[in-house]
Amino acid sequence: MNIELPLLAFVLAAALATAVLRDVLGAIIAFATYSLGVAVIWVVLQAPDVALTEAAVGAGVTTVLFLLTIAKTVRPSGERVFERLDVPALGVSVLLVGVLLATLGALPEIGSPDTAVLTSEVTTYYLDNAYSEAGVKNAVTAVLASYRGFDTLGEAVVVYSAGVGLLVVLGKEVFA
Amino acid sequence: MSEPDPEAAATDTSAPRSYVESTIIMATVRVVSPFVFTYGLFVMFHGADSAGGGFQGGVIVATVMLMLGIAFGIDPLREWVGESALVGVVAVGVAAFLAVAVGTVALGGAFLDYSVLPIPHPSKYGIEAVELFIGVIVAGTITGLFFTIDAGREGDDE
Repeated sequence: MNIELPLLAFVLAAALATAVLRDVLGAIIAFATYSLGVAVIWVVLQAPDVALTEAAVGAGVTTVLFLLTIAKTVRPSGERVFERLDVPALGVSVLLVGVLLATLGALPEIGSPDTAVLTSEVTTYYLDNAYSEAGVKNAVTAVLASYRGFDTLGEAVVVYSAGVGLLVVLGKEVFA
Repeated sequence: MSEPDPEAAATDTSAPRSYVESTIIMATVRVVSPFVFTYGLFVMFHGADSAGGGFQGGVIVATVMLMLGIAFGIDPLREWVGESALVGVVAVGVAAFLAVAVGTVALGGAFLDYSVLPIPHPSKYGIEAVELFIGVIVAGTITGLFFTIDAGREGDDE
């Protein structure tokens, strides 16, 4: 059965709810739902490593950090559930989506055997040699930690910098 | 829908910390957290042979701290962890990753060339070690973000 269409509808609805809900708490919950939907889409597209990250970071940690942030704000008063339409912002969004949709036709079909990724020499090399050279069964990990170890070192330092950056912004020396 | 009037809401939410002690949440977290922690370590260590790795495992380990903070209050947790422990943990993680990278050069290999490490199955265990260090960095940083965002800026904690 085709599960992609209902999933896409779910993700779009969650994204829309995030954009239009007036209550920030509601928007954050809708955003967590959106992340969860996207994580399931990654699983359907057979990218479990990305799905794990999306579920843990997108649906889990960011939600808590957002909640902590809005705990310091005031909830909007009044009865309205939805935000008023911001026409210029809507125009920019529609334009951006239009540009992105225009590139969609150039992408190869999902699972198509002659995508650039599958026919590329690099991919073939990784898939053929990852186990014998790196000694690990997950080719993603082999690329991440061995073939592209330098990039991953950079990524780890980026995470570290995020922590340092927050400390600098808040004028602190320790996480407390 | 009966929203409290804006003024009352303002005094409500600007109270220092809105920690609600709930038996249900505390009991659930007490039961669930060891399993989540183990799962995080599993994802970290088993990332070499199945989906996952240091980044994902580190985030899952960090969610244990988030759960504990939500269930038992962030302030007691922060005191339990200690003032500067997290900064140390993150710095040690980055330093260890760099040490592996530079160490392989010192041993005569290329940068991050695990095969020269003097251990059995050097590539596999080198990758595992690096994944563990990444996990330490990520878990420490996210827990730190959690504590710091909760505390807010020095002085405007009213």
